[in-house]
This record gives sequence, C-alpha cells and structure tokens, in this order.
Amino acid sequence: MEPLDQDLEEGELEMPADPMSLNLGPSHPAMHGTVRIVVELSGETITKADVQIGYLHRGFEKMCERGTWNQIYPYVDRLNYVSPMLNNVGFSLAVEKMLGVTVPERSQYYRVALGELARISDHLTCNGAMAMELGAFTPFLWNIRAREMIWDILEEETGARLTHSFGRVGGMAMPPSKYFKDMVRATLPRVLAVVLESEQLLLKNRIFLDRLENVGRISKEDALDFGWTGPCLRSTGVPYDVRRAHPYLVYDRLEFDVPVGSTGDNFDRFMCREEEIRQSIRILEQCMDQMPDEGPMNIDDPRVVLPEKEDVYTTIEATIQHFKIVMEGIKVPAGEVYSYTEAGNGELGFYLVSDGSGTPYRCRIRPPCFAITQCLDKLIVGAMIPDVVPTFGSMNMIGGECDH
Amino acid sequence: MTTEAPKPSPAAPAAAPAPPPNTITIDGREIPFEKGDTVIKAAHRAGIDIPHYCWHPGLSVAANCRMCLVELPPPAGRPAMKLEVLKWDAAKNDYVVDTKPKLQPACQQACAPGLAVLSESSEHVADARSAVQELLLLNHPVDCPICDQAGECRLQDYWLEHQRKGKRMKQEVVHKPKAVSFGPTIVYDAERCIVCTRCVRFTEEIANDPVLSVRERGNLNEIVVSPGRELDNDYTLMTEHVCPVGALTSKDFRFKARVWFLRSARTVCQGCATGCNAYLDFDPRNNTPYRHRPRENMEVNKYWMCDDGMLSYSRAIEGRLLEALVNGAEATVEEALADAKGMLAGLAAKPDRVAIVLSAQHSLEDNWALYTLAKAYLGVTRFFVTGKPLGRGDEILMSEDKNPNTAGVLRLCESAPPRPLADLLKVADEFDAVLALGGDIEVDAKELAVLKTKKVVTIASHVGPLSRIAKIALPASSWAEVDGSYVNRQGRVQTSERALVARGSAVPGWLLVGKLGRALGFATNWKRLSELRRAMVGDGPALPSKPGSEVRA
Repeated sequence: MEPLDQDLEEGELEMPADPMSLNLGPSHPAMHGTVRIVVELSGETITKADVQIGYLHRGFEKMCERGTWNQIYPYVDRLNYVSPMLNNVGFSLAVEKMLGVTVPERSQYYRVALGELARISDHLTCNGAMAMELGAFTPFLWNIRAREMIWDILEEETGARLTHSFGRVGGMAMPPSKYFKDMVRATLPRVLAVVLESEQLLLKNRIFLDRLENVGRISKEDALDFGWTGPCLRSTGVPYDVRRAHPYLVYDRLEFDVPVGSTGDNFDRFMCREEEIRQSIRILEQCMDQMPDEGPMNIDDPRVVLPEKEDVYTTIEATIQHFKIVMEGIKVPAGEVYSYTEAGNGELGFYLVSDGSGTPYRCRIRPPCFAITQCLDKLIVGAMIPDVVPTFGSMNMIGGECDH
Repeated sequence: MTTEAPKPSPAAPAAAPAPPPNTITIDGREIPFEKGDTVIKAAHRAGIDIPHYCWHPGLSVAANCRMCLVELPPPAGRPAMKLEVLKWDAAKNDYVVDTKPKLQPACQQACAPGLAVLSESSEHVADARSAVQELLLLNHPVDCPICDQAGECRLQDYWLEHQRKGKRMKQEVVHKPKAVSFGPTIVYDAERCIVCTRCVRFTEEIANDPVLSVRERGNLNEIVVSPGRELDNDYTLMTEHVCPVGALTSKDFRFKARVWFLRSARTVCQGCATGCNAYLDFDPRNNTPYRHRPRENMEVNKYWMCDDGMLSYSRAIEGRLLEALVNGAEATVEEALADAKGMLAGLAAKPDRVAIVLSAQHSLEDNWALYTLAKAYLGVTRFFVTGKPLGRGDEILMSEDKNPNTAGVLRLCESAPPRPLADLLKVADEFDAVLALGGDIEVDAKELAVLKTKKVVTIASHVGPLSRIAKIALPASSWAEVDGSYVNRQGRVQTSERALVARGSAVPGWLLVGKLGRALGFATNWKRLSELRRAMVGDGPALPSKPGSEVRA
C-alpha cells in the first residue's frame, strides 16, 4: 500500500477525463457461466458495451466429430444444461430426420413429456436466478424447490438429475418407469402451487417491478432481425413457437397457448416464462392422458437400435449387432439436414452432415441464446450498471449453449 | 444336311453382325470382363462387391460358402430355371408350395458376353444371403468380445448387411475344439470356423505344403493338420490372413491389440530383396507396431507375404540404436557430431584415406545422402556396401538376399560399383577413416577387429557389429519412422510410408548425413525429404511421387 499522506501534485487530484471502463465478469456470479462485458461508463450510465462470449469454449462441435452418433448425447446434455432433455430430444429428431425414421407413438409422447418437464425446470431456474440477482432470495429458493420436484421425476426416469444422456437415435434409452404417470400427475399441482407463491412474492414488489418494467426493451422488428426466438422473442409480441409453427412429435395433438408479451422488456420476458410453465403443465396433463401404456419405445431396425442386453450376452447375432452399433456407430446415410425444435431458450437447431460413416462429419449447432446474447449491448447501452443484471438474467444466456 | 447356309456376299462384308462386346451387366450396370473371368472376378475388378467368404482372388474357386449366390435371368425367350420350395404362409399357418429361380454362385459362374446378373436388386438373392448367413452363424460361439478378428470380421459385416435378424434355431449349438495349436504360429478355433477352406487351398496352392485338410461332414466338419505334421512352413501366417473369420489367429498378434485402435501405413517389407508391399498396423496412442499385413501388388507379392516378413514388423522397435554413442558411451547427437567433427578434421585433404560403406539395409535417401557427401564434397572414390548375410530363399517370395535395398545401392553407384565389405577389411591399412551406414554386416563380426584402430563413424537405425565397433554411432530412424524408397530385386523403386514417431533420439539417416556434412564444413543442407528427393532426381534413380506408390524401373 502506498502511504495515504503522500504529496500529490495539484494536477493529479483532478478527476480523470477518460471514460471509465469496467469489467463485468468473466468470473462473476451474475455472469451465468462465463461471459465478459466490458462497459464504458459515464457516471453510472453505460455509454458503450462490449459483450465477449467465448470464455466457455469446449470445442463442442469439433468433439462431436470424433465419436459415434449416439456418443454425442452426453455433449448435447451440456448445451443448455438447465434443460438437457430438450437437447436430447432435438438431437434425436435431427439424426432421425436424416435416417428417415419416426419413433413409435409411445416414444413420441414420452419425449414430449420429459421435454416439457425440462422446460419447466429451465424457466423456473431462469426466473428464480434473475430474482435472486435482484436481491429476492426467497423466490429463488421457492423456484428451486419446485425444480427439485421435477428433477426427482427425471432422476427416477433416467437415473441422473442433470445430465441425463437419455435420448437415443431411434427411441429412448429406457421405457417409462412403472410410476411415471402417477409421479407426474402428483407433482404438477405442487409445482403450480409453488410457482404461484413465488409470483405472489415478486409481482407486488415495487423494487422488483421497477427494475424489470421498461428496462432492456427491444422492438419486435429488432428482435426478429437479430434472430431471436423463444420466450425472449415472444415477449416482444411475435407468437413464434416451433411447437406451434412447425409441429413435431405429437405437439399437433396437444392443446396449449403461446403466450406473448407486448413491450419486449425484462418484465415481459419474465412473465412469458411464468406463463409457459403453466402451458407446459397443460401439455403434460394431456400427455399423461394420451400416452399409451404399452407398445414399443424404439424403432424396429437392428442397424440403429441396440439389442436387449440379455441377448447380447447369449446370442452371436445380438453380440454382432451390439458390436457394430457401439464400435462402428450407426451408419447414417450421407447427406445433410437441418432440424429444429423449441428448446428452453427458443429454436435449437442442429445442422448435421454425414459422410455415411459411423461418425458425424459435421455437427453444427444453432444455439438460441447465441442469437439473443449478441444484442445484449444494444439493450444495455444507455442504461445504468444495475440494469445489466436483470437484462442479462432475463435473456437466460447459458454458457454451455453459447459455446462458440 | 442338304440345306446350305446363305453365304455372305463378298460385296457386303459390313452386313456381318459385330461380335457382342465383352461385357456383362450386374444389376443393370454394364461392366467389362476378360477372357476366363468369373462373375465375381469381373465385379471385383469393377469395384462391385458381391459378398463372399470362400472366394479369394488369389486362390482357386471352391464355391462352398454360397454367400455369393446371384440370380441369372434367362436369355430372352427362354424359360427360367425354377425350383419348387416350401414357403411359410403365416395366414394359412402352414407351408405352401412356391417356386424360386435357381441361383448360381458368382464365384463359379463364367462370364459370357451380354450375361445379365442380378445381385443387390433380386429379392431371391437377398433371401438366400440372409439364409446363408443364418446358417453360418447357427453354431457360432458368442466370441466377439474375446476374438482378435472382431472389427474386421466378415461374419459381423455381413450379418448387418444381409441378415439383420436372430436365428430361429433354439437348440444348443454344436461344440467343437477351441484354441487348437496348429503349429508355432497359428491357433485354430473350430467353433468359429465356417470351413470356407481358404486356408486349405492356400497351403496347397501357394505354399506348396498341403498340410491342412477338412475332416467330417456337415456341422461337425473342421480343419485339421495332417497327422504327424505341424503347420510350420514359411507361409503359415497367410492362413490367418486369408481366414475371413476368427477361426485362425496368429500367436504373435493374439490378444495384443483391438484392430479398431490400429492405423495402417503403406510400407515395404524390410525382410529381403523381394520388397513385399505391406501395411504396417500400429497403435498411434502408444506408438507401437502390432503386425504386418500384405498389401496387394500383382507385380511383386500378389496378395501374400512370408512369415519372416510378417513378423519383421517388430524390427521397427527391436534391436534399435536409439541414442548416439561416442566410444560406446551414450551422448547427445550434437555432442557426437562435435566429436565427429574433431575426429575427422582434415579429412577433406586426403580423400583417398577415407572408405565409405553404404548399406543395403538403409533407404535410397540415406544412401544417396552419404554417397553425395562422399563423392561430391569429400571427393572419395572408394565405395563399399554391406548388409545382412545371405539367407534362405524359395521360389515363392523369399529372396536369399536379406536386404531390402541392394539393387538401390548398386544403381546409386552405377559408375563405380561398390565392393563388398570383405574387400575393405583386406585393405584396411590403406584407410584412416570409415564413414558407414547401418549396423549389420554380412561377414563375421570378429573380422571387424581390423577397423578397431580406425576412425569409424556409423549412422545406423539398428544395433549391429558395425555400430558396436564405431567410435561414433549416430541413431537413425527405422524404415517405419520415415518415408523412404527401396529398390527391390526386380528393380522396382518402391516407397514406404512413415507409420511411427521416431523413438529415442533417432532422426532420419539422411538428415544425420547432412548434419555430419555441415559439421565437416560442407553445404549439405537437406532439411526436408522433398528437398532431398528433388536433389536426388538429378543423379539418382527416378522416384515415385507419392509414398506407398512405386515406379517401374
């Protein structure tokens, strides 16, 4: 430390004329995952912002090129790691589109159900974390309590709470457990009750509302221009939801609303997510009624689906089938495909290229939050430092997904 | 006969119909054939794969596996040959009489102009292949996890391509002898065997030692060695190589590696002057070679290699000179080169006191580098050549000359043929210094004693008498660690690809020669192989442009 009473020239005591620049992140709890925002300040007002992603870079797409198609599931788990099941489903559908196969009806309902559970946990986490970053710790704990209930179901089904790796090309790793429907039916009202309580804690809180309303606004046109999708786009009033616009699996048989906002500010983004939790619960209730209890989970193609383990150990045919799929991988026909689904943050796209070998030639991902994060600077320039936290929080940037 | 065929009018010779072209069609695709071709051979040449186990392009036709069955639609206007078969009718819950065309094995069916063949496009063929595959796997043990063939097994490939379902037999499978030793190199597993008789035909037709035969009939048959004999000729490992399944395994390779972890480099066998084209299979993770496989070259080794050559892959890591030696003590290459500089100072002044020993064990690049350093820079006139002593040869592949590059060295010094090492030892007094390549010599190691007092510098990939006697020995890369060219006994220049990363302090031999030249004050600045090869083309033999390829001399 320098002594405080040192002699200073008169000139040195003046305030610096240069604008002050400030680093937010990359290692800061409010910078979900790792992102760095270099802001230039005039007082507390942001005059310039430089959003730098890339602090979390695993070379995800490159890693995908060295394993078989089924070995990619653990990687997609770690895209948006708050709703890994949605990524599993999205990737499965992409490879199946390339193979030209459709999974059995029971499997489709199961995928929708697990995916919607993941969506609820995604939105609970995002809204809870945003509230916590604004000082509201209790709603965060409330939301996480609800998320625990969902994760208990996912753990029961998949064996893992977070990184399930549960999807498979041509079906799912396992059929639903015996009590799946009972668990879901029992859990949904409890989740709904907790969501209501946490909303009551927040939506009459002046501080919380002041920091959300009219902060981080984006117009419909800008949002579309920047490639926004998901709840963030819908908060501006554009009713685009892949599940509705380009239905996949059994979404065309299910009734649900697509909630939209009007102003595209933090508050609308928050409310869109809250409403989508309710819609997901609606979807899940219908799924539980419609999903058949019997029937195959996987397609019937020995080139794609692994044989029963018991057969692998006792018959040469199943051993060979297992060996071929595990060691050489599924032979996906040469070609390319773009397949997209509605993930937690919006349109999750997989652009896959196969050269006909057992390994993807290219696995390109369109992560929804990458497009959204790119105009964070537009939203925070002109705002104040404290506005960065709720604006960034409501975008729900997930480091693993934004890995580019 | 009273009717006479109308004679073609001499005025209109063009009216005679042109003979049909020598082509057949497979699934509608027209492919050419040569006289004497079978359907499978013509298809093989055209790159069309007709599944097969027992057929091998280098062996006689057995037509016993029935995997290559194809449908031959009859010529226009002729009825198809049909067979009556019983077919299961699920609706009637009973067998019903049906007909199907009689299929023919593509490996035995001779090509005729215009012959139409249905392979992939015939459902009868698909049915037959599925049924044949089911039969071949009927008694097969669940061995893939412990079988060396897994990963390159036809049974696995064809199951997925042609069967894709379980077998219908519920009974216990037939059990047969497992892990039977056939001889010093081969182990036989009768349960895995599909009795395609490739190994039987190989020993009879190629190795000229008909020591294997088939015993018993039906599902009890198995391959046996003649009583009182072992499978111990010079080509035993080829029986393992031709085996399409895991019935024959090599004792050398057994349980050492899984093939999907191995990578292959196109190399040239270093075992003798034949220069068989080979694949060196190695594991890049531990930089270790695991086996040789013959690489097809109809001009040199066809599809085959001898046992000595197959096992010579281990020379890539065994018996290597890995560190520089100065008077027998380990040193760095830089120290050794500095010592060489001191030892050989003033050498350029009296080139007639320097002997150059080229090596038939080393590549053309290494030899050219030393030859050029000696001739163009030092002005040496007397060249000698050495290598391994003569060994056993045969009429099949093995050459008595056990050096891969004898012809290369001879061609390099075409103007003044090098003399054998024995000549140098006779007149050793005339020399002060010897610059040598390689460790191996063809004379008795004791005879090298006359060189003990000389200034001997050796650049060698392997330890041998010459590297032991040398004052300074420099470690060169083995053939597996560097691209190199070799001239076989036919005069073919063949290049060998790098497989492994060099072990120890070894660097390419030509690079060491260049460094030695620079230490002596010459401009031998070859840093890259391409650079050296460009320089070589001027006065050396023509070189193939791509590694793994070759040029005809």
